[in-house]
Amino acid sequence: MVDAARQPLIEVKAYTEVEKVEGFVGNFKVTLRERAKYVRADRCNGCAACAKACPVEVPNYFEMNLAPRKAAYIPMSQSVPLIYNIDMDACIHCYKCVEACGALEAIDFSMEDKVIEEDIGAIVVATGFGHFDPTPMTEYGYGRYPNVITAMEMERLNNSAGATHGMVVRPSDNRRPQRLAIINCVGSRDKRYNSSCSNFCCMYAIKNALLLKQMNPDMDISIYYIDIRTPGKGYEEFYDRAREAGIKFIQGRPAEITEDPDSHQLFIKSEDITLGRVIEHEYDLVMLNQAAIPQPDQDHMSSVLNVAQSPGGWFMEYHPKLRPIDSPTDGIFFAGACQGPKDIPASVAQGSAAAARASRILHSDTWQIEPTVAVVWPDRCVSGKGQACGICERACPYGAIDYTKGLSAEVITAKCHGCGACVGECPHDSITQLHYTDAQVLAQIRTLLAVEPEKKILAFRCQWCSYGGADLAGTSHFEYSANERGLRVMCSARMDADLIYESYRLGAGAILYSGCHPQDCHYITGQVAGAKRAARLDKMFARMGMTPGRFRTEWISAAEGDKYARVINEMQATLDKIPESELQAEIDRLKPEMEKKLTKMNEIPGVEEAMIQVDFIVNEMQNKAVTV
Amino acid sequence: MPEKPKIALFQCRWCLYAPADQEWVDTQLPENIHLTKTPCTGRINPLYVLNAVQGGADGVMISGCLPEQCHFKTGNMAARRQLEEFNDFLDYIGYDKQRVRFVWLDLQDRGIIQKQLAAFEQELDDLGPASNLVTRVKVAEGGQNA
Amino acid sequence: MSLPFNSNLAEQVKAIPGGEMLMMCFSCGTCTSKCMVQEKLEPNYNPRRLIREAVFNFEETAFADETTWLCTACDLCYPACPQKIHISGVITAVKQLAVAQGHQNPYQTAKVDEATCVACGLCESVCPYTAIKLVEKKVPFRGMITVASVDPGKCMACGMCTAACRSTSIRLNQDFTDNEVLENLWGWLEREAV
Ligand SMILES: Cc1cc2nc3c(=O)[nH]c(=O)nc-3n(C[C@H](O)[C@H](O)[C@H](O)COP(=O)(O)OP(=O)(O)OC[C@H]3O[C@@H](n4cnc5c(N)ncnc54)[C@H](O)[C@@H]3O)c2cc1C
Ligand code: SF4
Ligand code: SF4
Repeated sequence: MVDAARQPLIEVKAYTEVEKVEGFVGNFKVTLRERAKYVRADRCNGCAACAKACPVEVPNYFEMNLAPRKAAYIPMSQSVPLIYNIDMDACIHCYKCVEACGALEAIDFSMEDKVIEEDIGAIVVATGFGHFDPTPMTEYGYGRYPNVITAMEMERLNNSAGATHGMVVRPSDNRRPQRLAIINCVGSRDKRYNSSCSNFCCMYAIKNALLLKQMNPDMDISIYYIDIRTPGKGYEEFYDRAREAGIKFIQGRPAEITEDPDSHQLFIKSEDITLGRVIEHEYDLVMLNQAAIPQPDQDHMSSVLNVAQSPGGWFMEYHPKLRPIDSPTDGIFFAGACQGPKDIPASVAQGSAAAARASRILHSDTWQIEPTVAVVWPDRCVSGKGQACGICERACPYGAIDYTKGLSAEVITAKCHGCGACVGECPHDSITQLHYTDAQVLAQIRTLLAVEPEKKILAFRCQWCSYGGADLAGTSHFEYSANERGLRVMCSARMDADLIYESYRLGAGAILYSGCHPQDCHYITGQVAGAKRAARLDKMFARMGMTPGRFRTEWISAAEGDKYARVINEMQATLDKIPESELQAEIDRLKPEMEKKLTKMNEIPGVEEAMIQVDFIVNEMQNKAVTV
Repeated sequence: MPEKPKIALFQCRWCLYAPADQEWVDTQLPENIHLTKTPCTGRINPLYVLNAVQGGADGVMISGCLPEQCHFKTGNMAARRQLEEFNDFLDYIGYDKQRVRFVWLDLQDRGIIQKQLAAFEQELDDLGPASNLVTRVKVAEGGQNA
Repeated sequence: MSLPFNSNLAEQVKAIPGGEMLMMCFSCGTCTSKCMVQEKLEPNYNPRRLIREAVFNFEETAFADETTWLCTACDLCYPACPQKIHISGVITAVKQLAVAQGHQNPYQTAKVDEATCVACGLCESVCPYTAIKLVEKKVPFRGMITVASVDPGKCMACGMCTAACRSTSIRLNQDFTDNEVLENLWGWLEREAV
């Protein structure tokens, strides 16, 4: 931090909040609120005279409230920048600090918050994590039993710069504890509070146990755990060292801590799973490894930055495997625990990576995006004609569509990732996707179904998963029905209902609607939109009396070539079971229903011309006896 | 008169979570306290209380679990209803209401039974011995004199 | 010992209301350390193990486990379970399946003395487990009459019925009798009196 502050090209803005972020990659406009410190940065030299003079003491949150600070304060001696701060909530306006500061005249009670706007090229979010407060878990008595402390409190007690200069003592009587229990997973891996694993508590439990053991060899230390998780280089070896040092690992989550009200001794009864027996132990001090949770203001920050949150509340990365550092919004990156609990090595690695990702933007004049962006036909958009709509804005997983009532919707091209969800959802066909225009896709459908459509299985595949799965089926030489005809769009969200209706109108035998598994979707929530639409279609076709199996939805990953082949073969088997005449009768019967839904198809720009072209080409090919 | 008040203690077998406390009740109770352990306070027949009173006990203590912690769902609630009513009757015939105490022990509390007994003993001491209902006649099953 | 393949105990338990969450157990042991039966009655009692037996389809062991029969559904463990498993629900489901297969509660249950029962229904109203029903029955020397009847699959031996019965017609067969309690009490009172 000190080094960063010394770097001429880095400006540290302490005590400053991000209030608003507008614009897009390379061109963000960020509104910042610089909070008033009541001490002038250009004059304060960090001498601490004001703090010495200040008569008001309040608990220091940095020390987990185990030590006091003054109303004129810095939270810790290594604070960067080293500029004092006056806590107006605590200040009693005695002005002793002003006197103490003397000729420097750094203290200025007339300061006010400053709101500034900055042009920013890229944003790295590194807001870290928060700590679960174990008070609601009454079974562990935190807040009621003085000798039950949290891991964060232990970190401060155990720190030589901390409240006790590194002496670990029992809060009830300041005695040095002889028997210490550490309880893991307090509020984490617990469906009543936070169901996920906090990632690093197992390791810091071992760290703290070893540190304490080294300083106090006769201390009896037990760690209660559900599972010990030591994934990583050297971690298991660290665990080994702890066992060697005599730290007791007890597999069994205690249900309850009880306290002797007179001596404040603590008793933990837990099952030792390995023995299959319940054992009660007495302890002087108990440390609770509280869950790592999203920052209390994470929801707020997520709306300020316009980045989504994963289940559980952490910031959501673009892709868990392929782009774990990028946010779904170009130009915003994540570093550290704000994206999910992680330890220091992983946070540092992600931080360095985020810096590198950000510098790519700062060092280029132009920024490449996917060419498959969406475009609105302003003359078709009903919003421009005064009708309330905004469906596309809600459909976009990236917030790339600007919908204002009375104006036609507008795509912010730099933010668009080209999934086509808006195109699939727009009920007025007023929006299209470059390279996957309705005309282009409909032309493909018509070509693929030109000959004996009732025998064909038309497979809609998404670019990232099921298309890859089909590819793998091919390169792996898995055999599947030769009647399959594959068609690619970017995402299952682009698989417009019109495309399906048109395929059935043309007499397709069966249709596969396929895409990624929900957690694999390349476009955050595209698959969810696709799946909803598929379910709707499925219900509608069932109501129309379509033979079950002629419309099928499957989520197939790029690694599931075998599944792709199996699904197609099953669909072929379904088709084979329907007598030819019955199938033809069903197709004929449903055709008018489909037509009813497609009356406006030819009004979509480019479609009519494309169809004429397709018919011409198909005709030519048939004349020359080319099979399609 | 014996030095300390005689207390008949009825304890449901579940209400003490700490093994040390149960061990104290089982083995260390002073002579003036008599323990009857029951599967649940709901198993305590009002007859027991009546007999204790008629036999010369200065106080009766019934210890059970907190309402939502009853081992048998609602046993302690039913017991409380039944014994409270019976206590009104005892009060009516001249046995001080304070002498029959129903305590609900929180599983999480340690050393609570000792404290409760000590406090009760102190109160009974202040009240003095209870002898007005002593009959020395046992009332046995079915209510007949045995 | 090998995992049984011919049983689908886990599936059956999951199908019974209360047993749905069975597979979520990650064997943390919280329930066992919370349980009072384990503390007070049977050190070998272990709800975590029973759940494991059910997960692995160990039907015979699960049906014979003390846990199946001694759990009184006090639900102290339910709010403590970090996986929100209704443990007593799982145990009750295992018990139901065991009873359906002809297994019997090996522990004491309440017994009605049909020669004296007057069918007042007091016991029926106090039983927390709805184990008592009034039934029409042919009783020796009394003919066709209504008496209380205990379902041993549901009775948990709390003794509430014994305390409530005004005609001493229902009792736990392995429990103390009222007379024993009174003997004991009087013994102490008389000793203290001298
Ligand atoms: C008790 C305990 C012991 C641990 N011990 C170890 C260990 O021994 N080894 C190890 O590798 N890991 C350990 N960890 C994990 C370690 O703390 C994290 O890996 C690390 O802190 C993550 O770093 P970070 O920079 O992402 O987040 P943080 O350290 O949480 O930093 C985030 C920063 O962002 C600031 N901030 C938050 N919101 C805003 C906002 N809106 N605007 C401006 N600033 C904001 C916060 O004030 C904070 O300074 C431990 C964790 C705990 C709880
Ligand atoms: S004016 Fe406020 S900050 Fe300054 S010395 Fe007084 S109390 Fe402290
Ligand atoms: S408390 Fe819940 S998760 Fe833990 S062992 Fe018991 S049933 Fe399983």
